[in-house]
Amino acid sequence: MVARTAMNTGTRRMTTTIEVLTLAQLLSPSFPVGAFAYSNGLEAAIAEGRVTTAEQVQDWLEGILMHGSGKADAVLLNVAYRAQVVEVSEIDASARAFAASKERLLETDLQGAAFCETVAQVWGLSIERLTYPVALGRAARLLGLDAELTTAMYLQAFAGNLCAAAMRLVPLGQVDGQEVQLALKPICLEVAEQVKTAELDDLFSCAFASDISAMRHETQYSRVFRT
Amino acid sequence: MVVHDISLTPSPKMQRAVGKLALRVASDGRYGARLADLREQGSFRSIFPRPSGNSLDAVLLNTAGGVTGGDQFSIHADVEAGASLSLTTQAAERIYAAIGEEAGLVRNRATVAPEACLHWLPQETILFEGCNLDRRLDVDLAEGAGALILEPLVFGRGASGESIRNGALRDRVQITRVGSPIYLDGIQMSGDLTEQLDRSVIGGGARAMASLIYVGTDAEARLDPLRGLLPDTGGASMTRSDVLVMRLLAIDSYALRQTLLPILKLLTDDSIPKNWRL
Repeated sequence: MVARTAMNTGTRRMTTTIEVLTLAQLLSPSFPVGAFAYSNGLEAAIAEGRVTTAEQVQDWLEGILMHGSGKADAVLLNVAYRAQVVEVSEIDASARAFAASKERLLETDLQGAAFCETVAQVWGLSIERLTYPVALGRAARLLGLDAELTTAMYLQAFAGNLCAAAMRLVPLGQVDGQEVQLALKPICLEVAEQVKTAELDDLFSCAFASDISAMRHETQYSRVFRT
Repeated sequence: MVVHDISLTPSPKMQRAVGKLALRVASDGRYGARLADLREQGSFRSIFPRPSGNSLDAVLLNTAGGVTGGDQFSIHADVEAGASLSLTTQAAERIYAAIGEEAGLVRNRATVAPEACLHWLPQETILFEGCNLDRRLDVDLAEGAGALILEPLVFGRGASGESIRNGALRDRVQITRVGSPIYLDGIQMSGDLTEQLDRSVIGGGARAMASLIYVGTDAEARLDPLRGLLPDTGGASMTRSDVLVMRLLAIDSYALRQTLLPILKLLTDDSIPKNWRL
């Protein structure tokens, strides 16, 4: 599925292989946003016994991608992608107000700041300090990358990062981790398709237990992750 | 699409209901708050049980007996400089089965002036099978304004073993300070709500959920005492230096209320509206 048509910028065009490579770079674990330090509250969910098996990891991540912070990030990315420059700060303010807890805000703020700094230095993009999905949406727009592909790859990177976190914390084997990510691919595609025309008013989350876990992580006694 | 058998639909009425309440509360110097303006329309009524103290207490009644598809309800509260308003509901609000595609619309908003305070403490909103609710609460705070906002939601009456196999909910809460968002929440659920609530990442089997926001210069000092009152299905956090948020899941509305009462007592300095009891 390398070549695909896209209508996101209003003109029909083909996604080129170089765009896929650029996205793979932007969303690679080696891109210096420090994604490995954040668990989105999963560490607390594991510590409190809400998530203990590979099946439960998959169900948790599926819920986050379809109904929780993953979906909300996908909405923000797409709204930011389509926005006029003057609208970006309002979108970013909404992203910050929507953060469910102090650590959720930290996670999106610090990763976003690191992302903005790096794309400014490497690609010469002028992006102010933005939350992570808003920053990625802007960068994708400025680099002419397809919004739907960017969203799907962002969601896969998001899920992959949380799988890596789960593999450090529970007896989730290397193979299990890859199987979970394989199973989540259709969901990444589905959500990326759903949010193509999303507006700020489509910013929702009903992954209540995930948000509560993110809050409870703040007082967790022994922590490996920052969130 | 599910076709509702009208004879089985537990709707208390077939006509659209409209209810509007607009109130303005002003400071009366050292005598506390007073009602400066009140407008009631349609099925909304309000009573003011305790006209003394620093805060005006308002209790809202919906004489329509609930909300169903096509209904339109709104509350608009203005709290003027130095005044305090505590608003609650006489009873839990029931969201009955909607016939057809139209949602019941609830549009509430409040403005809170400098040195003023709003306690928005409605009793539970109970969703029933077939519900379709589209609700929005917008609160704009001035610099130096305080607020305590609670929205408790109950998904069917757990004690009666009810489930919601087909329902729709859109619920938005936005709090701005001088126009800029400081808190934004949105819930969108549709279809089999009970099945979704059984998922560990959503409700872990809970049938009741509450969101709470406390805005005030003493918010941070309230965090640890609040955490001490939470079971392991609840969490609290500071999203800004003066914004405390809490989210709580519970097995049913009784358990939710059991946890909420001491929390409200803490955050209102023991001035909970009188109809908030077990």
